[in-house]
Amino acid sequence: MIVSFIPILAVDVAGSVAMVVIALLCLNKARRLREMDPANAVFLYLLWISTGFTIFAVSRAFGHILRQFLILTSNAEVWHTIAPYSGSVNTVSFMLVGLITLFFKQSWHINEKILSSRKSLEDTHIKLVDLNQTLEQKVVARTEMLTSSEHKARRIFEQSLDTILVTDEGFKVSEINQAGLALTGYKKGEMLEKKMGLKDFMTKPSEWERIRGLLEVDEYILNEETDFALPNFTQVRVLITGGVDYGAFGCGKTFHFIIKNINDKKQMEQQIAQADKLAALGELSAGVAHEINNPLGIILGYTQLMLKEASGFEEDLKTIEKHVQNCRTVVSDLLTFSRKGSLEKRRLDVARTIDNVIKFLSNHTDFRKVEIWQGPLPRQSLMVYGNEQELAQVIINLIINACHAVGKNGRIEIETGETKDRQVLITVKDDGTGIRKRHFSRLFDPFFTTKPPGQGTGLGLSVGYGIIRRHGGDITARNREKKGAAFTISLPSAPAEEKEGMGRTQGPKGNRRDIQ
Amino acid sequence: MVLSWLFFLPAEVLATQLHVTSEGIITHQVGHLFFLFSMVVLIFTITGKALDTQKGWRLIQYSAIFFILWNLDAIGAHFLDNQIQAVKIENISLGQIRVVTRNGSPVLAWIYYGLKMDHLLCVPAMFFFYRGLSCLVSAQQQATVKKETP
Repeated sequence: MIVSFIPILAVDVAGSVAMVVIALLCLNKARRLREMDPANAVFLYLLWISTGFTIFAVSRAFGHILRQFLILTSNAEVWHTIAPYSGSVNTVSFMLVGLITLFFKQSWHINEKILSSRKSLEDTHIKLVDLNQTLEQKVVARTEMLTSSEHKARRIFEQSLDTILVTDEGFKVSEINQAGLALTGYKKGEMLEKKMGLKDFMTKPSEWERIRGLLEVDEYILNEETDFALPNFTQVRVLITGGVDYGAFGCGKTFHFIIKNINDKKQMEQQIAQADKLAALGELSAGVAHEINNPLGIILGYTQLMLKEASGFEEDLKTIEKHVQNCRTVVSDLLTFSRKGSLEKRRLDVARTIDNVIKFLSNHTDFRKVEIWQGPLPRQSLMVYGNEQELAQVIINLIINACHAVGKNGRIEIETGETKDRQVLITVKDDGTGIRKRHFSRLFDPFFTTKPPGQGTGLGLSVGYGIIRRHGGDITARNREKKGAAFTISLPSAPAEEKEGMGRTQGPKGNRRDIQ
Repeated sequence: MVLSWLFFLPAEVLATQLHVTSEGIITHQVGHLFFLFSMVVLIFTITGKALDTQKGWRLIQYSAIFFILWNLDAIGAHFLDNQIQAVKIENISLGQIRVVTRNGSPVLAWIYYGLKMDHLLCVPAMFFFYRGLSCLVSAQQQATVKKETP
């Protein structure tokens, strides 16, 4: 059968060219896909298969076009030589395409795993970002809370009126607040430099051993009273509460203490107790004195009557009279101590009263070679409302006591002043032996004396105490920092309008009186 | 040493098999069958993965169908001329050929004449493959844009 060759030739040549062109276009598209998502295994698969198709199309086109060319140019023999090679390449190329195609399922699975892993990674990333943001928010919130808490704690630490003390495991000071520095009198740098511990504040080693024992056993102490020794050699009564802190975040073991200064409270309690005691003693003394005074009057009266007549017992009667008089003096003092009624009172210039007392004492033999120094006086007269005789008696008693304390060649200072709350102060100081601690609570007790028997009745201070209390004032005693004791009388100042026009002419300088 | 001896002193290797010339066409036919088989697998894999719902993969399926048809065409043509030599072509002139069938059947000649224009199957196959890839590129671009748009 003879047929036209043109359709076969046209389809063969045009088809071969078209195959190559389309295969190259496919390769380009596959490459673009691959660039869009390099991690996509299916796109990689499509690139491979496109490459295979391109090889297939090129080899096939080469073979077909060359064959047609050689046959048409009467070179069929040449084609017969080339044909096996061309056919082999063509076979290999479409087998390659087939082989690659069979890997589609595997490529798909790999891609699914990649996508799954990517999805998982993205989900994890989103969660991590979310967690990170949440964590950042939490960190910010916690940091704010921590800062606020730290600020509060710091304010409590710094503003506390009680001492807050932190020590290390060995009870050495590591932190102390301003109240603590004010209480102890040390500087923080000094404490840290000297490695001072709680022990160093204690007055007695035994007291420290007691407190440390409690801390070691119970790991806390609650309201333990003790005395702190201050750098100025004074003591202060304190109340300690504290406990152990085992710390956190790698911090070491520490001890935290809150120390409360109860010195003023204790002193006030002691003063109240003293006042109560003296009030009770006053009641008792008044009763006793009243009961004894009348019999003494009768004894004295009869003794004096008997002395008017000669009886041969004059010497004995005079002895009786003398001792009865002494007893009456004691009874009188007791009555003065406990007297509740009031004598005549008027406005007094304190400085003038002290002047009169010093003049009076200048004639006393005990005051020879004792220097009495009267401190500078205020510009305005210090006026009080009271009985001059009684107040003078109190001052005399204080000066006499001071004189006995200093002995010969001693010095007694008398100072006056006025406080802001309008209290006139009269202070009698000496440089004597001072007052023993254990005597403080009994100083104003009737019949309490440290003088040898026969040299004092022990009524001077108690009588003075009674007088001052009746004048609405107070009298206190203390040891001076260096040497000696100081007694301070505190009296309410007279109203200001009554003091007008009573300016002092005497200068403010001190006034020394040497009594010879 | 052994390799050197084998290289420089070759001898007849009686263990190797001698190949006849018909092996070439059979290998070629097996290649076509393998290609056909891979295209069938591809079609079912795409369906199995439910990818045929996407236009791009559906077009690639069409491409595979055309490649199957092309393989059948090629196998048929090679079977007739190379394998059983039932048909042969003789060039008469530049524009005419004579299709000679062994049994003189004109139907077989016309069938062979049609099978010789196999590019009418493989070019559409490649074109569908190209269109499929183009659709996949477009879909990927849209997905990228959608992903980047907040």
